[in-house]
Amino acid sequence: MPSKTRVAAQLEVLNTNGNIAEPKTADVETSEHLPRQEQKWRVLDMMLSSFADFAYAFDREGRFLYANQPLLNLWGLKLEDVVGKNFFDLGYPDELAARLQQQIQEVFSTGKRVADETQYISPTGVQGYYEYRLSGVIGVSGTVELVAGASHDISVRKDEEKHLVQMEARYRGLLEAAPDAMVVVDTDGEIVLLNVQAENQFGYSRDELIGRKVKSIIPEGFAERLIADGTRTAAEALAQQIGTGIELTGRRKDGSEFPIEIMLSPLESTEGILVTAAIRDITVRRNAEKHLAQMEGRYRGLLEAAPDGMVVVNQRGEIVLLNAQAEKHFGYRRDELLGQDVKNIIPEGFAERLIADGTRTAAEALAQQIGTGIELIGRRKDESEFPIEIMLSPLESAEGILVTAAIRDITVRKDAERHLAQMEGRYRGLLEAAPDGMVVVNQRGEIVLLNAHAEKQFRYWRDELIGQKVKSIIPEGFAERLIADGTRTAAEALAQQIGTGIELTGRRKDGSEFPIEIMLSPLQSNEGVLVTAAIRDITVRKEAEKHLGQMEGRYRGLLEAAPDGMVVVNQAGEIFLLNAQAEKHFGYSRDELIGQKVTNIIPEGFAERLIADGTRTAAEALAQQIGMGIELNGLRKDGSEFPIEIMLSPLESAGETLVTAAIRDITVRKQAEANLVQKIEELNRSNEELEQFAYVASHDLQEPLRMVASYTQLLSKRYKGKLDSDADEFIAFAVDGAKRMQRLIQDLLTFSRVGKRGLELLDVSSDRALKLALVNLRGSIEGSGALVTHDPLPEVMADEAQLVQLFQNLVGNAIKYQGPGVPHIHISAVKNGAPRWMFSVQDDGLGIDPQFFERIFGMFQRLHKRDEFEGTGMGLAICKKIVERHGGTISVESKPGLGSTFHFDLAASGRRL
Amino acid sequence: MSIEVLLVEDSPGDVRLTREALHAANPQIKLHVVSDGAEALAYLMQTGTRVGEPRPHLVLLDLNLPRVDGREVLATIKGTEHLKAIPTIILTTSTAQEDVVNCYELQANCYFNKPVELDEFLNMVRCINDFWLNKAKLPNGRFDA
Repeated sequence: MPSKTRVAAQLEVLNTNGNIAEPKTADVETSEHLPRQEQKWRVLDMMLSSFADFAYAFDREGRFLYANQPLLNLWGLKLEDVVGKNFFDLGYPDELAARLQQQIQEVFSTGKRVADETQYISPTGVQGYYEYRLSGVIGVSGTVELVAGASHDISVRKDEEKHLVQMEARYRGLLEAAPDAMVVVDTDGEIVLLNVQAENQFGYSRDELIGRKVKSIIPEGFAERLIADGTRTAAEALAQQIGTGIELTGRRKDGSEFPIEIMLSPLESTEGILVTAAIRDITVRRNAEKHLAQMEGRYRGLLEAAPDGMVVVNQRGEIVLLNAQAEKHFGYRRDELLGQDVKNIIPEGFAERLIADGTRTAAEALAQQIGTGIELIGRRKDESEFPIEIMLSPLESAEGILVTAAIRDITVRKDAERHLAQMEGRYRGLLEAAPDGMVVVNQRGEIVLLNAHAEKQFRYWRDELIGQKVKSIIPEGFAERLIADGTRTAAEALAQQIGTGIELTGRRKDGSEFPIEIMLSPLQSNEGVLVTAAIRDITVRKEAEKHLGQMEGRYRGLLEAAPDGMVVVNQAGEIFLLNAQAEKHFGYSRDELIGQKVTNIIPEGFAERLIADGTRTAAEALAQQIGMGIELNGLRKDGSEFPIEIMLSPLESAGETLVTAAIRDITVRKQAEANLVQKIEELNRSNEELEQFAYVASHDLQEPLRMVASYTQLLSKRYKGKLDSDADEFIAFAVDGAKRMQRLIQDLLTFSRVGKRGLELLDVSSDRALKLALVNLRGSIEGSGALVTHDPLPEVMADEAQLVQLFQNLVGNAIKYQGPGVPHIHISAVKNGAPRWMFSVQDDGLGIDPQFFERIFGMFQRLHKRDEFEGTGMGLAICKKIVERHGGTISVESKPGLGSTFHFDLAASGRRL
Repeated sequence: MSIEVLLVEDSPGDVRLTREALHAANPQIKLHVVSDGAEALAYLMQTGTRVGEPRPHLVLLDLNLPRVDGREVLATIKGTEHLKAIPTIILTTSTAQEDVVNCYELQANCYFNKPVELDEFLNMVRCINDFWLNKAKLPNGRFDA
């Protein structure tokens, strides 16, 4: 029978009463049954094949009776290939086939259903997971006639399950590795999973907790939060907790409790939504928070007490805290600023610096600013701005990282900086203008500044030296002196050097060395204490010193050889050096005097003259004495004193000004002077006496002379012609003699009177004196017709009467000794040095032979015979005496036949005209 | 009427000269001579041996006199109430300015140097006579004790 027909027959049996009837094999082959059965079979087949699941049936031997189309597709076979075959025949793996076979038999024998699942790879290459059910179909016999099977593809679910298992494994790993304790709780509140941290935290071992209610470790707060109640589902409940750290209390195995913070997150699993709790022991943090609260109190105190304005800003740039100083700085009240954007008081530069941008976090941004003083501009409430410097520091707080800014008003400092910059400019100017080389060195011994002079001295360009160690130009002695070592700081080291000139050696660029003297002074700057060194090339001085050494030797020689006593005294007034002559003068040996005070040998006048006192230095004191011979008293060893004359001169030696005194014993001179003075006094006395005598004599001689003259004249008058001619002649001679005598005595009287009285020089108009003289001479002037002219004549210091006499004699002479024609006489005066006036009385008279220029001023000197010109010869002697008494000199220049000019000088009047 | 002139002069030579000159100038002059200052004062004071002598119209006084110096005589004359009006003329060889000044300060009416030349001397006396005794008006005083 064709298989199809056979199956159809069986199926029909199946179909009509649900039982399997024993088919009549003969029946089956009848052709009348077949088309109807065929139709029914086709419909059943189509129906069973429309399911996705597989449907099939087996006989007692485990051979396929039927398989639906999906199953056939899976195998890639036709029904006729399958019917009557078993799993082995269909190529199933032996193990699987055996199992299936066995299960089929089990159903046949027990009648009980069997369910199972298996993996299977079809011949078409389809891999899948299937679950299947085998159930027995009971026939009329009451026994299982056939086994029907249905299979369902559970590949997807299997994959999921596998995935889940994988995830579980991975999750377990994470769980174990998590730093926090992790506990996974199911919807019943039972712990399904925990990690080793949780074991440690709660003091349990894993199996002691798994399956236990989570309440046993977190008594309150956890389970409640997750309960699905009437108002929300467990999922919603969980959703509300996700992400927030919840502070609760954990209970250890030993019953002790500790504060925890739990973070919940959902976990999908095959058993539903589980809750993963990350549990953090926050005991420490709690303590820290308590501590922090304390700190906060203290911090607030510090904040208020801080000298700078303090402002605390959060990450949004808002001011969260400020102190009183800040209020003052910015002119706001605290509440006006809290919560405000810090930009209100620091418009630019603060917020920007703290903003987290794409390249860095706020923390990094802050970190970059920490510690550096940033100069910005602050803005007060009244909108005025002022320069500030802010110092930032982070502040951890519950709100995240805050920024504390210490704000300092640097208005004054800015001014100081400006001033400093100015000063710097001025200083640079000074530096350049300084006559010495100037080099400024920092604390590392590097040259930071130098001037043109220093460039010249060392023959470097400026940029070749800046930044270089000062050792390169001053190899030794400079850097060492400034080094701070264990015993002193750089500042102390410097202080020791200040003011002293230190002799060192400088080295030029070409390597040549030269002696220098440096003077150090400190210089405050932003970079700390710098050292300014004024450098002087002392090559010349060094040579001078050498030279001086040489000179000293030579000098000593000179000293010994000097004719005068030589004593060298230092500024303390001590005898430094002396020569043999000085030893002799004072009667001491050298060593008895060296180191002794000079007052021992010159008690007064020397030391005082050289003492530096409040008004002048020793050098000035000395300068005042130089060149003058000073008369003092010297004191010999034996106590006797003797007059000395000292001449001082300074002597530079090794920085000290010494005084060399040349001492001359002037005993002899003094004696001579005394003698001279005495002599002069005697002479003066005798002169006075003589003058007195001359005066008295002349005065007393006058009278008898008058008698003689008068009576002889009377005789002549009365008896002329009454006696003989001899008598006349005799009387005439007598009269003449008497008259002459008379005139001589007059002149003598005049002459002596010039010197008789003390001379009192007053302001006298020489013009007036001349006029007076001319009045006295008017007789002779009219008689001769003389023409007397004069220039304006000055005021002089003179005795008026004597000046009149002087003019009278000179003009009188000029008239007397006139030449032919009318005498012309001119008087003039010119000023010469001193100040004195040089008068000239010029005439055009007879003139005088040069050989007589001196003689004519002598007493009783006459150049002409008595019968040519009358006169006593005293006139010019009187003039000379007058002029000399006035401190002047009289002279004459003359050419015989042309005239004479008499010159004399007088002191000018003190009065200004 | 006669003109009384008192000459105080110690040099006899000068006295004779003066007498001659005055007489030549004015014969009416009655010359009284004393030769020292004390006598002069006594005469003028009308004390001592010179009682009843006429008061002089003019006094010619030399300076250098024995006993009482002429300057003192001058001072006394000019310091005495009933004498100071008498014109007193100094007649001296001294040309010293001090003497000139001093005498005028003592209220001398006039000061003359005795000239050396005789003619000048005679001329001077003539001048004195002319001025003082002819031209000038003199006070008429009486002696009051």
